[in-house]
Amino acid sequence: MIKHHPSNEILLLHTKGELPLSLSLAVSAHIELCPECQKIQQALTEQESDAAWTVPCKHSSGSNSVDAAVETLTADSSSFNEDLSDMLSSIMEQAPEEVLFEATAPTSTKVAGKNYNLPRAFRQFDQLKWSGIGAVSRARIVSEADDVRGSLLHIDQDASIPQHSHKGYELTLLLDGTFEDENGKYERGDFIWLEGDHQHSPYTKEGCLCYAVQNAPLHFVSGVSKVLNPLGKMLY
Amino acid sequence: MMSVSSNSTDKRLNPIDVTNLSDEDQQINTWMRLVAEQQDKAAFAQLFKWFTPKIKAHGMKRFRQEAQALELVQETMLLVWRKAALFNPDKGKATTWVYTVMRNHCFDMLRKMQSQKEDTMSDDLWPMLECDHSSGEQHDHLMSRELLSHIESLPQQQKLVVEAIYIKEMTQQELATHLGVPLGTVKSRLRLAMSKLKSKLEASHD
Repeated sequence: MIKHHPSNEILLLHTKGELPLSLSLAVSAHIELCPECQKIQQALTEQESDAAWTVPCKHSSGSNSVDAAVETLTADSSSFNEDLSDMLSSIMEQAPEEVLFEATAPTSTKVAGKNYNLPRAFRQFDQLKWSGIGAVSRARIVSEADDVRGSLLHIDQDASIPQHSHKGYELTLLLDGTFEDENGKYERGDFIWLEGDHQHSPYTKEGCLCYAVQNAPLHFVSGVSKVLNPLGKMLY
Repeated sequence: MMSVSSNSTDKRLNPIDVTNLSDEDQQINTWMRLVAEQQDKAAFAQLFKWFTPKIKAHGMKRFRQEAQALELVQETMLLVWRKAALFNPDKGKATTWVYTVMRNHCFDMLRKMQSQKEDTMSDDLWPMLECDHSSGEQHDHLMSRELLSHIESLPQQQKLVVEAIYIKEMTQQELATHLGVPLGTVKSRLRLAMSKLKSKLEASHD
């Protein structure tokens, strides 16, 4: 049972297409697993769609918005108008797309001797390069502006990630297995958002596969793992 | 880059009832169906007139440049034209479907501008072939569209019988009474119609 969901604000930004790819991948994968958030996304899409289509058009005095739209078009300069009718006819010269039902097998990846199916959103990431240290393996999915990085992380059974804090935010989407930290136990589909002031040390009994997004390197706070700090960006 | 509240489990929104459409939404749905089923150019021109200024306004807001706003118009309307058959009226309004097409293209355009990435990720993030756990449903919807077009092509009398019995769900006796013909006539028309439909379906699936 999924207990941790993206906030409505995150769902809204995702619906509007305004999140960075790294985060939208996580929201999309969560939605695939969570019927509850699927419904919310649907409602938000309706809401955003209605808002987008009720933009006030110039000359919207017409009786209905279809007239108003035509009026707006015709009210513009004639060259613009010609461009648009050229656009319209060039579009209609194109053949409609054949609808194909590809029975797409899920994309899978092999790490630590085990095969995992990835969510649909990761379909294009079928050539992952895993690397790692100790019990933790990582495959980079996406690097974006502002140091935002999304990676798949695999943690072997009975292993933990040394206690660390986050300078920015850390989003973890649990894709397989379970893990726990100071705040509780997490299951498949849980969307766990932590802000920088949080310290935690995740532990997994059975091993797990996560998708994690960070906008700053992890900062390790205990023992020899502090050696990892200069390497943090490389690792996760 | 943005402020984000922590995990929340409060879900205040309810899905919107799609059965209760305004006249305008119904009109747009009708145009959309005509484009999907018959590539109706007059209907597409109406959609184009309705959506174009609004997509352009949306593009101006997102890109602040007319050239890009027009690219968004062109690409969105092209996708609407080419992918119209994917629109499923049972799942929502045509306006919402066009919004998702525009939102998706907008996402890919912004990504291309910001990170010089040529990949198209949007269809994986918001799949157009919305299968939510039942890829069969999408198939059914196209299947019924295909069936309807075959029924449409039957001789008038057979078409009427099939529609009455399978779509209006009348009994054979009710239909016979309604048409003022013997029950046997209804049965034989139906039999003829069904064997024609069967061969049409077999032909189109070869």
